Formats: sequence, structure tokens, C-alpha cells
Amino acid sequence: MQRIIVKNVSKKFKIGFEKNQGILAKFISFLSGKTPQRILQVIDNISFNVETGKIVGIIGKNGSGKSTLLRIIAGIYNKETGQINTHGKIVPLINLYSGLNERLTLKDNIYLYSSLFKLSLKEIKEKFNSMVGFSELKDFVNTKVYQFSGGMKQRLAFSIAVHCNPDILLLDEVFEIGDEIFKHKSANKIKELTKNGVSVLLASHELWIIEKYCDRVIWIDKGKIVKQGDPKNIIEEYKRAK
Amino acid sequence: MFRKFLSLSFTLAKAELKLRNEGSYLGIFWYLLNPILTFFILLAIFSSRFSQGISNYPLYLLIGIIIFNLFRQATAESTRIISDNKKLIKSINFPRQTLIGSIILKILFSHIFEIILFIILLFIFKVPLYGIIFYPLILFLFCFFIYGVSLILASLTVYFIDLCNVWSFISFLIWFGTPIFYTVETQGKLFKINLLNPMYYFITIARDLIIYARVPEAWMILGALFYSLLFLAVGLYIFNKLKHKFAELI
Repeated sequence: MQRIIVKNVSKKFKIGFEKNQGILAKFISFLSGKTPQRILQVIDNISFNVETGKIVGIIGKNGSGKSTLLRIIAGIYNKETGQINTHGKIVPLINLYSGLNERLTLKDNIYLYSSLFKLSLKEIKEKFNSMVGFSELKDFVNTKVYQFSGGMKQRLAFSIAVHCNPDILLLDEVFEIGDEIFKHKSANKIKELTKNGVSVLLASHELWIIEKYCDRVIWIDKGKIVKQGDPKNIIEEYKRAK
Repeated sequence: MFRKFLSLSFTLAKAELKLRNEGSYLGIFWYLLNPILTFFILLAIFSSRFSQGISNYPLYLLIGIIIFNLFRQATAESTRIISDNKKLIKSINFPRQTLIGSIILKILFSHIFEIILFIILLFIFKVPLYGIIFYPLILFLFCFFIYGVSLILASLTVYFIDLCNVWSFISFLIWFGTPIFYTVETQGKLFKINLLNPMYYFITIARDLIIYARVPEAWMILGALFYSLLFLAVGLYIFNKLKHKFAELI
């Protein structure tokens, strides 16, 4: 079964840019607070599928459209054109570690974000110890998250996401922060989830993880798919192109 | 679906209340400070001028203050709610309406303390307490109205940031135009203007039922029902139309 079907999806943004303006135009811009804007085609006619129980990697330079694509699939951004069909519960981990509420404790963040990921109170209570255990932050349950390091926040965010019964996991640069041991542990957890039919879309710059764990890789550049296929071959070509 | 909406709104409200009370030693007291201060100041300034012909003026004043306070706090927070939660909105796809729902629940929690204060005053002024039984009904309808207005403000502020500042001025004007510390019964022009003011209906119904133990006039009740449903419908329509762009614009 295809868990994710993306067909001819495109997305544009209006972005500000430096424009040569006359003095009057600059004065009006300053007073109004509005800056000149242009259209940027962030995602350009992208199509691909992800089957049940597969891990598909997404690679590309910064600004190539990886995060935007994941946000569109997660339903956070609207697409301009095209179709997206998904089957099952989507749990996105897109900048979640920076989205945690820093003035709340680890425990409060688990309850809050698990609720947002549609777990019931009963389920959260049942999985609480497991989430804390996986994140290896047992000693910090009542500590406020602003006192955590970036790696600790990432552990917490990842642990919450994988315990929220996902059918589709959208991971955006989750392996960029954190120690090697936790990276391996997280990657193995993802592999374990796929054995239960969870599909994973993983955007990352950690090419060794993509090559080792992904069934297929999509290379995106300037919003378009350059190539997709076998991880080893695609990554080699990507490295040569870089 | 309504249960899920309520459950998530409750979770968000709980988190917000924890943040609000963080590090506060006086916690609950702060919820009462604003209405108490406003009550005593208005009573001191206006009771001699406006209390003629109004029986139980302190009660009359206080119920107006606390009901309007509920409206003012909820709508003021709604102008900031989307931008205050931008990290959340950009990370997870969840029903955005639950953020507005959480404001209502959070404000209702602090409203409980205001009502307790009001009941104490009812007791002091020896007014029968049975009228307060009807307050939850009034509140229920009022919450639909506030929710609708909050949805409109929350969604429009994403597109027009200035609305946040404009609304504080508009709500101040509505405060003055609503008969909180005065009455409009004998003043024709003000009375006609207040027919277009939803706050007038809710406050007057509350006063009639709780303080004066009389059944409100049918047109009053219909007016309150009308405004509640109207603003709820318009609020839901506008919010659902605009919510898809929130994550991109904040």
C-alpha cells in the first residue's frame, strides 16, 4: 500500500528582497513597514510515493525545499497545485525541538505535545515512562526545558514523536544534533517502527544515516526532484555535484 | 469531535495557566485584583452621580465589570494567540481553533474567582442567592459570543497586525458605551445605540435574573441568542477561511 502519494505538487512563497528603490519609495516602505516582495517557487511539480513500512530519505542543499515539502505533507502549509494523499496518522518532527515550550517542564511538554499528536490522557499516562526512558532524561522530568541543551531537547522531541502511534513519520534534520549513540538508537527505533508498517520520510544532511537506513532517496534541488532511487548511487552523485 | 476539541483546548489552557502562575507567590489574588480595583474606583467616582434610581448599585456595577472583563480579556488575548504560538503552529498540524478554545477556558477559570467575589457581595447586600443558578446558562451563551468574536480577531490579526492595537481602543470604547456604571433606561439615544451592542443584552439579562429576581424580557433573550449564534457562525466562517495561511504568515 502507498502511505504517501505526492502528485505534481507545487508551492510558491512571497519573499522580501533588496530592491533598488528611489528615495520616495524607500520612505514609503519605511513608513508602511512593507518591503518589496517577489515570488519564489519553493516546490516545483514534485511527485513521488512512499510505501508502507519504507524509509525514504530526502537530501538536498539548505533552501532546496525539503522542510517545505515535509510541512506541505504534514498539512502545516497549503500546496498551490497538485495532490497529496496520505493513509494513516501523520506525526511530524519538524523543528519540534525548538517548538517545545521552554517554560514548561519535561513532564508538561510530554503531556502537551502528546495531546497535540492525538494521544488520549490514558495513553499518555501509559506511555509516559517509556517516553522518558527512551529520551534518557529520567533525572529531568520536573526540570524546565529552557535548562536543557539542544541535544536534550532533540531527544525529548524525538521520543515524544515516535511514541505517539504514528503511521507516517516526517523527520526533518533530527540527526543533526545529538551524540552518536543516540543517533544510532533513534535510527534503530525508526527501523523498528517500519517493521510495524510505519512509513518514514527523513530529510537529513547526515548522508551516512540516509545511506545506511533508507530504502530509497530523493534528491531535491531548487524545489525540483533531481533524482530518486538507490541511496548509495544517489548519494554518490549528490556528493560529486556538491 | 467536540469532545476532542474540548480535551485539546483544556490541555492547552492548563499549560497556559501553569505559565501564567509560574513564579507567582500571589497567584489567585492577581485574578481578582483588576475587577476589585476597577469596582472600588468606579464606585467611588460614579456612585453619587449615577446610582440614583439603581437599586443595589454596587452589585449592579460589579456584575457589569466582571462580565465585561471576561469579554475584554478573551478578545485581547485572541489578538496575540496565533503569533504567541507560532513555533507550535509551524511544527504541528492541529486544530487551530483549540488555541482560541483554550483562551476561553483559561479566562473562565479566573472568572470563577470573580463570581465567588460577586456571591460574597450578594450575601453582604442580603440579596437572595437563588438567582445565581441561572448564571451558568447566561455564561454558556456568552461564551459562544466571545468565542466567535475571538475567532474573528485571532484570524484577522495575522493579516492586519495593527488590529491588536486598534482592538484595545475599540474595546475601551465599547466599555464606555455599555451601561456598566450607568443605566440607559431613561436615555433614549444611548438605549437605541445599545440595541446594537451584544454586551448590553448579556449584562442586562444577568442583572435581571441575579440581582432583581425578574425574568428578562423576551426580546432581550432573543437578542442575546441572536448575537451569540451570529458571531459564532461568522467567526467560524472567517477563521476556517483564513487559517490555512497562518503557518506561512507568522
